[in-house]
Parts: sequence; C-alpha cells; structure tokens
Amino acid sequence: MMKPVVDLMVLGILGFPALAVLALGLRAWAYRPWSERATVGIVGFAFTAAVADCALSSVWLLTADVTEVRVPLGSWFSVGHYSFDWNLIADRLSIPFAAFSAVLLGLVASFSRRYLHREPGFARFYLLLAIFGTAVELVVLAGSLDLVFLGWELVGLTSALLIAFFHERRGPVEHGLRAFLTYRLCDVGLLAAGVALHFMVGTSEVGPSTGGPWAGFVVPSTWAGATIVGLLIVWASMGKAAQLPFSGWLPRAMEGPTPSSAVFYGALSIHLGPYLLLRAESILQASGLAAGAVIAVGALTALHATFVGRTQTDIKSALAYASMTQVGLIYVEIGLGFRYLAVAHIVGHAAIRTLQILRSPSLLHDHHHLEQAMGTQLPRTGGHLERLVPNALQPWLYRVALERGGFDALLKDWIVGPALRFIGRVDRWDQAWVDYLTKPSAVRERRSRHDEVRP
Amino acid sequence: MMIAFAALQLLLLLPMSWVVGRSNSSRTARHRASYTIAIAGIVALAHLAWSAFSLPGLDWTAHWLSMETPYSWAPAFSLITCLMGFTAIALSPISETRPTTFRRILLLISVALVFLAIRHPIGLAVLWSASALITWLELRDLEQPRGIAKLFAIYHLPSAVAFALGAILLTQGHSAAGLVLLLVGIGIREAVLPLHSWFPPFVQHAPMGLVVAFFAPQLGVYAHLELLRGELPHQLAHSVASVGAITAVVAAALGLAQTNGRRALAFLIMSQTGLVAFGLDASSPVAQIGALLTWQVIGVATAGFAMTLASLEARRGNLSLTAPVGSFTRTPRMAVAFLFMGFASVGLPLTLGFVAEDLLVQGSVDEFPVLAFALILATALNGVAVMRAFFMLFSGSAEHIGECDLTRREAGALTLVMAMLLLTGLFPGGTVRRLEHVTGDQGHIATEPDLGAVGDGHRRAAKMETGLEIDRF
Repeated sequence: MMKPVVDLMVLGILGFPALAVLALGLRAWAYRPWSERATVGIVGFAFTAAVADCALSSVWLLTADVTEVRVPLGSWFSVGHYSFDWNLIADRLSIPFAAFSAVLLGLVASFSRRYLHREPGFARFYLLLAIFGTAVELVVLAGSLDLVFLGWELVGLTSALLIAFFHERRGPVEHGLRAFLTYRLCDVGLLAAGVALHFMVGTSEVGPSTGGPWAGFVVPSTWAGATIVGLLIVWASMGKAAQLPFSGWLPRAMEGPTPSSAVFYGALSIHLGPYLLLRAESILQASGLAAGAVIAVGALTALHATFVGRTQTDIKSALAYASMTQVGLIYVEIGLGFRYLAVAHIVGHAAIRTLQILRSPSLLHDHHHLEQAMGTQLPRTGGHLERLVPNALQPWLYRVALERGGFDALLKDWIVGPALRFIGRVDRWDQAWVDYLTKPSAVRERRSRHDEVRP
Repeated sequence: MMIAFAALQLLLLLPMSWVVGRSNSSRTARHRASYTIAIAGIVALAHLAWSAFSLPGLDWTAHWLSMETPYSWAPAFSLITCLMGFTAIALSPISETRPTTFRRILLLISVALVFLAIRHPIGLAVLWSASALITWLELRDLEQPRGIAKLFAIYHLPSAVAFALGAILLTQGHSAAGLVLLLVGIGIREAVLPLHSWFPPFVQHAPMGLVVAFFAPQLGVYAHLELLRGELPHQLAHSVASVGAITAVVAAALGLAQTNGRRALAFLIMSQTGLVAFGLDASSPVAQIGALLTWQVIGVATAGFAMTLASLEARRGNLSLTAPVGSFTRTPRMAVAFLFMGFASVGLPLTLGFVAEDLLVQGSVDEFPVLAFALILATALNGVAVMRAFFMLFSGSAEHIGECDLTRREAGALTLVMAMLLLTGLFPGGTVRRLEHVTGDQGHIATEPDLGAVGDGHRRAAKMETGLEIDRF
C-alpha cells in the first residue's frame, strides 16, 4: 500500500528541482525575474523538499527491509522493439548520493545568497544551479544508461556555462569552452556504451540485483562485449572526473563563481564519474581489463595531480589538483572492488572539499586567524614526498610539475593543433574550388603570383 | 483533403506574395508576409485537426496528382513548413531583406507546401526547378558577391536537369538510370559531400530568410521518400547511407574550424542533413524515424537558430568567430534563444532533437556499427560548434555596443518555436507514431510480391497507371 507513496517520494527528489527550473526559467524568459529573496526561496525549498523525500525514502527502505525500490514512469517514446523508458531506482547507492547532493546544493544555494548579492548574473546562477541539481538527481536515480546520459549532458552544459559565468572576461569563456569540449568528447563514450548495451543485451536498464550491495547494468554475455562496454563507460567517466589525459580543464574551471566551483568540482560533478563506475561495477568486474583500466587511470591521475598540485601558487588550482588526486584514489578503490570504501571516500571528500573551496576566498584571513590563535607561524606541511624523492630528481620533477606534466602541450601541439590545421586546410581547398568556379581569373592570378615567388 | 487545404493555402499565398512584393517598404512587406504565413499556418493547423479527428473528406480522386491519400504525417509537415516560413519572415532583418525577397520567401514556402501535396514525379520535378529558379533570381539581384548566383546556377542547373530526367525515366520504367539521376539531383540540393561546395557561400551571402525558406523544408528528403523509398538496391542504399554519415562527420569537423558565423551555420546544417540522408537509407525503421524527426528538427530548430543568427548580424554586422567579442548582458533573450535553438538542433536533452538522434543512432548500430559511432562523434562535434559560436558571439567583452534584445515580434516567433520544440520533445509519442506509418508502409512495399523486386521502377510505373498510391495499405 505504501509503494505508490514511496514512488511519489522518489519522483519528488527529481521533481522538486525540476519545478524550480520551470519557475525560474519561465519568469526569466518573460523578463520578470524573481527577486533575490524569492529566487533563493524557490531553489532552497526545492532542495529541502528533495532532502526530505530522500530521508523518507531511506526510512521506508530501512523499515520495510527492502534493498531497492524501482519507479517506472512509463515510456518516453518507442519504435518497434526499441523503447526509451523512464525508470528511477532508489537503492543503497542512489539514495545516499541523492540526499547528499540535495543537501550540498541547498547549502550552496543558501551560501550564495550573500556571496552573489546584487551580482548581475544572480538569477542566471540560480537557474543554472537548479538545472544542475535536477540533472545530478537524474543521473543518480536513473534506472538506465539512457537516462544517465540525459542528465549527464545537462550537467556538462551547466558546468560550462557556470565556468563562463563572468562572461565579460575572455579567460572564463575560453576555459568554459575547453571544459565543454572535453565533456563532449567523453560523452561520446557514454552514448556509445548505451547503444552497445542495447545492441548486445537488448536493454541499458539496471538489471536485477545479483547478490551485490546494489544492482548494476546488465552485463553482456561475452568477455569482449563486457570489455567494450566497460571501457566506453570508463572513457565517459574520465571527462567529468578530470582523469588523465582529460584533466587539463579542471584547474581552469575554477574561474567560475566560488560556490559553483565548490559544488561542481569539489563535490558533485567531479564525483559523477566514480558514481557511474560504481553503478557499472558489475560490467567492470566481468571484464577485468576495464577494471584494470580504472585502476591504472586512477593511479596515474593521483600521482600526476599530487605532484602538480604542490607547485600551484593559487589556492583554487591547488584545491583542484587535490580533488583530482582524491578522485584518482577513488578510481583505484573502485577498480579493486572496495565499493563501500569508495562511497565513504566520495562523501567525505566531497564534504571537506566543498568547505575548503567555499572558504578559499578567505584563505589569508583564516591563515592569519590561525596563526594568531597559535601564537606562532603555521608549520609547513606536505614534506613527506620531498623526503621520498631523491634530491637529483627533485628539480626535474618540479619543472615537469610546473608544466602540468606536459599534458596540455601534448594535447595542443600533437592532437588538437594538427587536427584543426588539417580541417582548416580542407576548408581552404573547398573555398579554392569555389573561387575556381566563380572567378577563374582570380585563381589564375593567384597561381601566377604564387609561381613568381617560388624559387 | 490534402489537395483542398493545399489549394486554400495557395489561394492565399500566391496573391499575397504579389501584394507583399509591391509593398513600399521592407517593414510593410514583412508585416504583410507575417500575417499571410500566419493565416496559412492556421489553415495547416485546421488540416492537422481534420486529419487527427478523421473528419470526412472530399469524395474526389485525382489519379494524376494522387493527392487524396497523403501520408499521415503530411499535415504535420505542412504545419511545420508554415512555422519555418513564419520564423523566416518574422525574424528577417529589413536591412538585408527587400519586399521582393519577402515575396520570394512566400513563393518558396508555397512551392514547399504544394511539393508536400503532390506525388507525381513530373510534378515534383517542376516544383523542384521552380524553387531553384526563385532562389537564383534572388541571388542574381544581390549586389555582393557577384559570383554567388553563378555558383548557385552551376550546381542547381544540373540538379534540376538530373531530377527532371530522372523523374521522366522513372515514369517510363527505366528505373536504374532514373534512380541514379534522381540521387544526383537530390544530393546536390541536400549538399552532401562532395556536391556541397555551393552551400557554405550560399548561406554566407544570401538573405537568411531566403536560405531558410529554400533549404529548411528539405524538399530533397520528401523527394527521397516519395521517389526513392524502397526502390534503391541494397548496395546503393548502403552507399548513400555511408555518404550521408561521412557528410555528417566531415561537416561537423569543418564547422569547428570556421571563423565566420554564417559559414559555421552552413556546416552545422550540412551535418544535420547528412544525418537525415544516412537514416533514410538505413533499413531499420527506428533509424528511418530518427531521420524523419531530424528532418523536422532541421525545419524548426535549425531554422530558428539561423534566424536568431541573422537577427544578431543585423544588429552587429559581420559575425566573426575568431575571438569572444560579444556580451549578452543587454541581450539575454537573444542569447538564450540562440543557445536553446542551437542545442535543440544538435540534440539537447528533452527536445525533439534528442529523440531524433537517439533513434537514429540506436536504429543504425545493427546495420552500420562503425558509422553509428561516427554519428555519435558528429553530434558531439556539432554541440561543440554551437557552444563555440555562443561563446564567441555572446561573451568575452564588457563593452555594450548598442545592440538591443529581441523585439516583441522576434521574441513571439522564437517563443513559439521553442515551445514547439520542447513540447514535441517532452511528448514525442504522437509524432513518432505518425512517422511509424511511413516506415511501416515501406516494409509492406518491400515484401509486396506482385510488384516485383526491390529497385524495379516498373512497379512505380504500374502504380501510376492504375492510380494506386504507395501508402494505401
């Protein structure tokens, strides 16, 4: 008898932020934005209601001794055998994430009220925050990879727009575009994984529980199939989680407002990659190779980020690399199959990192405050790595770390640059053909000029 | 009833196009043309309602025109054509659109509406040439650049000739040569690689309203459905689908390298039409419906995107994408419309574009696993192209150069388009079901034993003689 009520509660976790998007979006389009107080009230209420729904759902799960509740909302569209269904799932993995996300989003909404007071983009920030909240809850509660993709795309879009929040400066805009490019390239993996799952097992839905702590996506019957899907999911997760070699956007993403940096790159967006891996863990373990890839990517990223982070001279970049390091370690935990450890690590890391980023504008003040309280200078930390690395290697390592491991240069000089130059050349050939058709005389003149300067 | 409603629309559009062309000023012409196309849209809406509620039609058949049993989706496309015409007219800047141009836009929309109502190859060929001629006349009148009309003629004269010859050969039963000629004609119009070179300069230099009216109705897709559907041999269909996919990917990549807003738009549209070409020739009904939905998305979202770009250009001048030099502080609505429309055209979640691309990819993976992956890559690159254009045009500068936001007229038109995209995206069931009839029909045709093997043009000739319509099953 309680099932319909629980279904509604699970739906509410997603529905309240969505309604906030509607309320803010329609008024903004009509040129009648809500007042600051009303805006914060709407967003705050939406996330508070989502938290309450999460709490009630988890209480029901515990008291009814049920491991999961599935909420089928019907088919969005279907053609022949293919159907895109809306199914939500509330279980031991999704409910803690959903609750945690709603709490953090509500707190950030409350914090930003003073932080962004009278900021020209105040309404825009809250609208994007509400869209982001809806998208995160959709990813977390999604009962299929198709639905995950839906929320995943919206997370990427809001993330890029918030990085470029201070749009009158070029830096944030260029960094927002870079982040978006990385997201889109990695989103290819997620959509391809969904398509591959449909092709191999006929569905991309979360399958029945097979004895693990939570249910995962249906595993393809062959090792090759599981490996392909697993690697595609790993590829998809690397973009959002800023793992090597897609890590360059994260320190640049800190150009956005501090509250959005905190909730996106300290807490929620960056942990969606690990969340996806946790949901797909059955596929990763069935493959083995994919699980190994997760470990390798995580370990390399953690090593890279911990070295590079130590050479950063601004607090936000240092925190970005610290986040990257921790997420790399979470990857290793997931790859090794330590599921509960990974979940605890995610929650703990997200909480502390959000706090650190939110306090980062007051860093000097806090530093002075601490020194005054202690009556002495704060001791230097992080020296253990210096003791481990041989002296002869330290200058070289320092230089490599300053250059961020050379990954940015590698991407720019060896991949993006040549690709764009080649595309540009093809475009010029096309334009030359058009010139030949419309102005043959101009082409002949150009050719003769070219011949003249040729030695 | 298709013919009755199409005739009603023609009775309105043709005289009014003459009136619009005689207007004293572009502003008056736009005003008149907007109302005209709005009324034509209401007629299309009435047609849709008539068809949805299965109200009784005229008991009249025309064997030559074969109009009385239209596709179940034809009324919806008629409405979409009016909507894209309305967008093209309401958002056309008067700085680049003369009264004569508005007249030609109305004529192009009229041609598109009749094209949807006619199913005879020769009739289609006549309309095909007429639309190219109207557009060429407009390009000929342009002062700059002088070569654009010539370039257009170099490509579209062969297109018209190939289409006409193909249609004649098809009706005479010479199917193989006819099909190839039709493919060439349609390929040029749809700007698939390597027959595309006319398209970027066309979008770059022609009045944007004319570009939308000429290209957005995608007459080539309808011609493909009407004349080639189920006729192509498997190998040829496979090749055409591959060319479509290659066009989608290459155009998406080329779009990233553009430094002019209009050229970037041209490659975005090319990439989208490549997706349509790919899906139409895939054998899976799921992919075909995805292609048909992409056709609608091009008609609505890409047309809205193009016209928003034109509105911005009218305020700012040349739209360079070399560096971020805009600011959306004073033009928030225009920025939102640009971003929404751009992403809706490349598959923003919860819009019709997302549904279209999801079906396209899911439906094609079985037959074209590698190309399906390429399609995913193309949509990803298109998304980057839209975001890049948004950032370059609407951000990066603190200076306000006097640009005003969307006027009430522009905002009204774009609100209508955005609402349609969102509503059809949130509730795509009805749209998809209507399109299912098309692919269902094809399956029936392909298995119909008494009409010969697939690819046999005699089947069409036999149908023309007996007055049997393709989808009367």
